[in-house]
Amino acid sequence: MSEYRVKELMVPLSEYATVPVGSTLFEAVLALEEAQEEFDHTKYKHRAILILDKNNRVIGKLGQLDVLRALEPKDENAEKIGELGQFGFSPSFIHKLRKQRRLKAAPMKDVCSKASKLKVEDFMQTPSEGEFIEAEAYLDMAIMQLVTGPHISLLVTHNEEIIGILRMTDAFAAVFHTMKECEI
Amino acid sequence: MNELEKLLGRIIQRINVNLRELEYDVSPFIKNLVPLNQMVKFHAFYGITPNHSLDFLFNHSNLAGSYFLGKIQVRNSILYKSDIRGDELKSKGDVFHYQKFEIPITTDEGIDIEDSFLIKTLVHNFSHDPETLEKFFIRDTITSHYANIHGAPMDGSFLGPFSTVDLTTMRDCVIGAFSYIQAGEVDHLNIEPGTVWVRSPDDFNFHYRYPADRLKDYICFDKGAPPKGLFIDFVEDRKEDFGQLFNVFNIEQPASVPESSSLNRFSVIKPKTYISENVMVAQRAYLENAWLGKGANAQEQCYVINSRLDGFDIMAHGAKIIETNLGENVFVGFNSFLRGRTDSRLTVGRDTIIMPHTIIDTKKPLAIPPGHLVWGLITTPDELESNSIALEDLSKIDAGLMKGNMSFEGSGAVFVNAFRERIHHILEANGAFFDGKKNRGHAQKNQNISFNTIQPYPDGELQGLYPAIVIQP
Repeated sequence: MSEYRVKELMVPLSEYATVPVGSTLFEAVLALEEAQEEFDHTKYKHRAILILDKNNRVIGKLGQLDVLRALEPKDENAEKIGELGQFGFSPSFIHKLRKQRRLKAAPMKDVCSKASKLKVEDFMQTPSEGEFIEAEAYLDMAIMQLVTGPHISLLVTHNEEIIGILRMTDAFAAVFHTMKECEI
Repeated sequence: MNELEKLLGRIIQRINVNLRELEYDVSPFIKNLVPLNQMVKFHAFYGITPNHSLDFLFNHSNLAGSYFLGKIQVRNSILYKSDIRGDELKSKGDVFHYQKFEIPITTDEGIDIEDSFLIKTLVHNFSHDPETLEKFFIRDTITSHYANIHGAPMDGSFLGPFSTVDLTTMRDCVIGAFSYIQAGEVDHLNIEPGTVWVRSPDDFNFHYRYPADRLKDYICFDKGAPPKGLFIDFVEDRKEDFGQLFNVFNIEQPASVPESSSLNRFSVIKPKTYISENVMVAQRAYLENAWLGKGANAQEQCYVINSRLDGFDIMAHGAKIIETNLGENVFVGFNSFLRGRTDSRLTVGRDTIIMPHTIIDTKKPLAIPPGHLVWGLITTPDELESNSIALEDLSKIDAGLMKGNMSFEGSGAVFVNAFRERIHHILEANGAFFDGKKNRGHAQKNQNISFNTIQPYPDGELQGLYPAIVIQP
């Protein structure tokens, strides 16, 4: 399994969905769709968009969960409900409050329309220390980082530049392939 | 003054060590909050009665303007104009009931203050922590103006102005201005200003948060400046009346007081005040054109102005009412601020519970119906509607409720009963039910108190520090 190197499994940056900082969520989703259409060498789809600064350096990652998070109703109650956990309120009570709040919110179509105009930088995740991996690293190191993160993808670096992305599905496919070889 | 400066530095350092996990530095809040030269100006005083312990130890401390009653030790601390009232401490031979345990008290309980700086703070009641029943400790703690430590042992905590920690053991916490915490046991929490939290695990949980932008008009505490806002202006405007009490040795009782009532010599009584039977008025209470019916009480830092209490009403520590009528059996919680106007009075119906740290500030006549629970910030009838509930309706709730900024989970009936039992206990402890023979409480026991004064070094290296003193019978 260790014979696989990250650079053999990663998706190069040029083939991945990227948008410049300042883009809207809608522009990010279009970029994802476009990248998916052009990217046909695997059946697994991209699940994130990388955000680039004006020097084309990756400064953040916008996942599907981040886009869904943008659809959550935004009011001061959201923060308050989130805080109740530290005051000893039960998870079921907090869930009930969230449900009530969702029912009072605008219809889904209106929410989507409004959210599509929001900026990507307000919802993207800034990569943390354990989310980078060297292109020359072996697969077992990548698996360790994916599991301990846990992360759904890692940013692949070479000479301190981000050159690609290693998705959990890429690592899983390599593991699956190795397992099959062992059985044969 | 050098030694006093060193003492303050040492206290600040100790609390910062305790709060390091919260990455909280108290220094910018505390430095110059009370100028050190103020701490040399005032004497401390203590009460002597045949009904309470007399057991004091003061060591390497400044006690400027503070009052002591009961069994108290103070070491390496600065107590500025604080009341350390040990008249509800447990006695040897008492039995403390906690869950399935009946724990005998083996020695008289004492309040033990060490390495702490308390500013205009009230310490009262007794330790409710079953792990430390004989020692009500306050260690490595700083409290700002008009905070209340009520039956709450604490270590390594910082309490903002007008905050209250009630019946809760607290370690390494920051409590924001005007927050009220009653939660059994808490540690390592940084509580935002204006939080009201009452929790009994497995029974109920009540939480309310003031809107920050509106609370700051009443109380605001920022780095590098003393607390400000309407609450501070309100008490500062009446400060001189208290100053006169402390400058005079003998003072005539300013109002007619029945034999079963007590009016503390360090309370301000302005004209047109009427005191009925079994009334207790504590030190630093302020009454002006106030009518106090049978069994009512006004505790420390309470203000009753142009108001009437029909009877058996409780004004908990720091409560203030102006142009207000309270029906019978009304409970006004800690530090609550109830203000009507001359032509627009506020009326509170009988048996109503005003939650601790409630603000009702109305410019139009407002009537709170009888038998309600009221909380939070209320300035209009609409806000009264969203910040109150009939106790009967609350008693029917068994799962949860969210109303405005308030969240409640658990049994409403248990919550209401717990409050009613506590209100009954407070009235009992204050002597409201005294019948001439039985049920004596503070109103009867605190009538004849002698006050002695003690003073610090007036000058030199130890200026402001009190010599080590042991006072016993």
